[in-house]
Amino acid sequence: MKEFIVRLFSLLAIVGVLFGYNEVLDVRAKDEEIAKLNAQLEVQSSGASSDSESGSDSGDGAGYKDGTYTGEADGFGGTVAVEVTVKDGKIEAVEVTSAEKEDSAYLAMAEDIIPKIIEAQSAEVDTISGATFSSTGIKNAAEQALEQAVK
Amino acid sequence: MKKLNIHNLKAKEIKKLHTWLRALIQILYFLFLPSVYTAAFAGVKYIFTQIGAGEVIGLTSFVTVLIVLCAYTILFGRFFCGFACAFGSLGDGIHAFYIWCFKKKKKKPVLLSEKITEKLSYLKYLVLTVIAVLCFAGIYGKAKGTSPWDVFSMLHAGNFHLQGYLPGVILLLLIIVGGMCLEERFFCRNLCPMGAVFSLLPVLPFFALHRDRENCIKGCSGCTKKCPSGIGLPEDGSLKVEGDCFQCQKCIDTCPKKHIHTGIKGLKGNEFWFTILRAILLLVIMIWAGV
Repeated sequence: MKEFIVRLFSLLAIVGVLFGYNEVLDVRAKDEEIAKLNAQLEVQSSGASSDSESGSDSGDGAGYKDGTYTGEADGFGGTVAVEVTVKDGKIEAVEVTSAEKEDSAYLAMAEDIIPKIIEAQSAEVDTISGATFSSTGIKNAAEQALEQAVK
Repeated sequence: MKKLNIHNLKAKEIKKLHTWLRALIQILYFLFLPSVYTAAFAGVKYIFTQIGAGEVIGLTSFVTVLIVLCAYTILFGRFFCGFACAFGSLGDGIHAFYIWCFKKKKKKPVLLSEKITEKLSYLKYLVLTVIAVLCFAGIYGKAKGTSPWDVFSMLHAGNFHLQGYLPGVILLLLIIVGGMCLEERFFCRNLCPMGAVFSLLPVLPFFALHRDRENCIKGCSGCTKKCPSGIGLPEDGSLKVEGDCFQCQKCIDTCPKKHIHTGIKGLKGNEFWFTILRAILLLVIMIWAGV
C-alpha cells in the first residue's frame, strides 16, 4: 500500500514539475515579448521611425528561381523524397512526398525541420535530435532540390 | 476439420497454446511495430534534452507515445514489454534458440545464477540516469553510434550503412551473446532504460498478478523459479507493485494449484480473449499515437 502511494505521488510530482517548468518558460516568453513590444513602441513614439524595418531583404542572397523542385536522399530505412516550392524567389513550402521506409513517429518528429528550412531559407540547418536519420534525409533531399533552384 | 474445444484441453495443451499465442503476438509486433520502444524512450530523452537546453517541452510524437505507453502500463502492467516490445522479443527468440541448441546436444545450458542477476537488475537505473544526465548536459547527441538500439533498428529496417556505429555494434553483440543467451529477458531486466521507467510506475492492482500464498504447497516456489525476473508474487489484495514483472504469464500455467491470478476475482490474466483484447487495444492506441 505504502509503496503504491509513494510511486503515485512521485509520478504526480514529476508531471507537476514538468507542467510547472513549461508554465514558467511560457510566462518568461510572454514577458520578453511584452518588453520587446514596449521597446518598439518607445522607438516609434520618439519619432525615430523609418529605419525600424532593418534590411528586410536578408533572403536576397539566397534568391531562388520560382518553381517546384524535387530531391531525394537516404533517410532511416530507405529513400526520402521531398518537393520544394519556390515562389517570389523564396522557399515557400517543403513537402515530404514519399518516405515509405521511415517510421511514422520518427517522420512526424523529423518534419519539424521543415519550418527551420523555411525560416533559414536554406537547407543548411541543424537536424532534429531524436530523429536524426529521417531529418537528415529531409535536409539532404531539400538540399538536392534547391541545387536546381539556384540562379 | 475437427473443432478445437479449449474447455476440454489438458493443462499441458493449454499451456502450449498460451505459449504459441504469445509467440504469435510477439512476431506480429516485431514485424509490424518494431519501433515503439525507441520512440517512447526518445520521448524521455527529449524531455531531458529540452530541460537541459531551457526549452519548452512540446507534445511531440515521441512524448505522446511515451505518455500513452505509460498510461497503458499503469493500467495493465508491463504487457507491452512481454508481448509487444521488439527488443524484448529479440531476447526471447535468441534465448529460446540458445536453449534449443543445448537441448539438441543433450547438455545442460549455461545460465546466469539468480544471485548474480538479482544484483544486476539495478543496473538499468544506472543506465537510465547516465542517459538522462547526458541528455540534460546536451552531450548525448555526440554519443551517436554507441546505442545498441540504433544499430538494431537500422538492421531491422534493412539499413546496413553501419560505419561510425562500431561501439553500438559491439554493445549489441555483447548484449546478445553475453546476456540474452545466458538469461531469459536479460536486457529487459538488467539494462533497459525504458524498463527502468516502467518499473517505477504505480501499476494499478486490477490486472497485476497476485497469488493465493496461504494455500500453496509447502516449500513450492515454482512460479518464482519460472519467472524471468525471479519474482515472488505479492499476496492477494496487496497493493505491492512488482516493477520487474513483464507479464510473460508463464507463472500462471506453471503453478500446480492454479493459485496465480489478477487482482480481479475470477480473472487469471492469461485467458485467450483477455490477451488478444489487450494486444489489440495496444495496437489501436499505438496507431492513434502515430507510431
